[in-house]
Amino acid sequence: MKAILTYAWIMLKRFMRDPVYLFFMFAFPLIFLFIFGTIFGNQSSVNFNIAIINHADNDFAKSFVEKFDSDENETFTVNKDVSSMDEAKTKMSRGELDSIIEIPKDFGKISETCHPELVSGSTEYNVDSGRSVRNEPHPATRGFQNDNNINCLPSGQLKVYFDEGSPQAGQTVATIMSGILDEMNAGITGQKPLFTVEQKSAGEAGLSQFDYTFAGLLSYVLMTMGIYALSQQLPSEKKTGSLRRIKATPFKPWQLLTSLALVYLVLTFLSAILMIVVGILVFDFQMRGSWLVLATFATISTLTMIGFGAIVAGAARNENQATMASQLIAFPMMFLGGVFFPRFLMPDWLQNITAWIPLTPVGEGVRYITTEGASLFAVWPQLLMIIGWGLVAYLIAFKVFKWE
Amino acid sequence: MKNIIEVENLSKKYGDKIAVDSISFTVKKGEVFGILGPNGAGKTTTMEMMEAMRPIDSGSVLIDGIDVAKHPNKIKKIVGVQLQSSAFYDKVTLIDSLKMFASFYGQKVDPMELLEEVNLIEKARAFPEKLSGGQRQRFSIATALVNRPKVLFLDEPTTGLDPQARRNMWELIEQIKAKHITVILTSHYMEEAQRLCDRLAIMDEGKIIALDSPDKMIKDLLGRGFKPKRTIEQADLEDVYIDLTGKELRE
Repeated sequence: MKAILTYAWIMLKRFMRDPVYLFFMFAFPLIFLFIFGTIFGNQSSVNFNIAIINHADNDFAKSFVEKFDSDENETFTVNKDVSSMDEAKTKMSRGELDSIIEIPKDFGKISETCHPELVSGSTEYNVDSGRSVRNEPHPATRGFQNDNNINCLPSGQLKVYFDEGSPQAGQTVATIMSGILDEMNAGITGQKPLFTVEQKSAGEAGLSQFDYTFAGLLSYVLMTMGIYALSQQLPSEKKTGSLRRIKATPFKPWQLLTSLALVYLVLTFLSAILMIVVGILVFDFQMRGSWLVLATFATISTLTMIGFGAIVAGAARNENQATMASQLIAFPMMFLGGVFFPRFLMPDWLQNITAWIPLTPVGEGVRYITTEGASLFAVWPQLLMIIGWGLVAYLIAFKVFKWE
Repeated sequence: MKNIIEVENLSKKYGDKIAVDSISFTVKKGEVFGILGPNGAGKTTTMEMMEAMRPIDSGSVLIDGIDVAKHPNKIKKIVGVQLQSSAFYDKVTLIDSLKMFASFYGQKVDPMELLEEVNLIEKARAFPEKLSGGQRQRFSIATALVNRPKVLFLDEPTTGLDPQARRNMWELIEQIKAKHITVILTSHYMEEAQRLCDRLAIMDEGKIIALDSPDKMIKDLLGRGFKPKRTIEQADLEDVYIDLTGKELRE
């Protein structure tokens, strides 16, 4: 035991004497943090790039378009450079636009059959301020409007175009549009809709897209430090011969690997703490769970990941073999383990397979703890699988270990 | 004197090539035993099998009564090893390195005492990569002494060293011998073998072709009617070199 701790301590001191190595080791995950943080950091919700092609020249249509330019509109980013429908379609096919909204010529026109003298006059609309304004409805006096009344109100139909490749975006935009129009209809006619949908976030208020992504980044750090770092160190020591010298002593492979697991556990924690500090200070990361629970969960997860690194480190004869083998293990985990791309977007059969990837329970656990405040007990299925994988990894690692 | 090492019919094959071909010899307690021979003769393979660094194909090695093949870890505890091709961790001070090696044996050592034995006190806080060739070899011997071994294996301890460093190494080996530690060494330098070794084995193509004390070997050769090509001079070029440059270490 003393040998394990002595070796670990001396190895840690050795790393601390190599600031360049440490810099790169810690900088790499931070670069990911800044990339993802910038993409998701300042947005509270989804955002669509749209172009509005307005064929109508009445005031109503104009005020409708201006609605989208206001600052309070966070859902849409209007591309104003687009002037023609063809141009918009080209841009959409390139993915620069999510959707095109076409306003036809007769949008907002008042029907010619309108006879204002017949209207009782309690409803009016005002486009001067750039938005429709309505009088408070008085259900007792104006429950239903007569035909003439409806004819005297503006009407029209919007067209929402979307790319065939991304129907979700188009449908979402169309739904939001009809929501906006419903609101306008109700405002103009003064009719209160009978059935409505209330939108509400299921999580606690203030959970941002970044918090969700951050959990994935944390899991990613636990994996890279475990798999890449160790799998590079040992093969290079096989080359220099320092490992060979240790082979001549009674220090056994399991002691060496245990010792290195401790070393990389400490380094992973340093890297993760650095990421969390930057996440909180720069990107306003909101931690919902207990730090102690996260630390315990991360310890177990990291040890399992180090186990996979140890397989590669022990079996590889040189750094080239180790690099290739660790990529082969880490890449599928990274992309299929639900860390960067949610697994629920995958087809069912792939979800069933990827559920067994060792990184999947790590990502889920970290996410449940940081975004939902889950307890260790709540993540027991994840823990069980991580521990199971860990045992398998270390058994293989001890078996395939080579000193030189 | 008692035998501390008994090697019997020791063999090693690499594929079709026989590296060590059923060799047998004994080493007496406290002696310096040399293994000489051209490159590829099987010296290092023999040493590594005795050190429990390499599996033994057939035959047996007993060190202090312990079977190497059966109890490799017991052997590792009582021998000290200096390997021909090995390195020490960079960015780890000599003191830390010695503490680390001692911990592998479950022992506590006074690193300064060990460094003093090999004359490296002033380098205690240096990193191995900053040492000269001779210093590195001496440090390597210090790490091999952390467990106070009964047998010390030195694989070509003076190869690549300048004459001063080599002489210094000889003195160190003589000091180790004075502490009654049995030393097995390989060498390419006959002068070194003649000065240090009580007995030596000459290996060629995996076999021991001669085994005796250096003096006896020379006497036997002369007895077979051997005449040196030229008369032995009273001094050679190395004596001239040492006389001109001095015995002091340059590092």
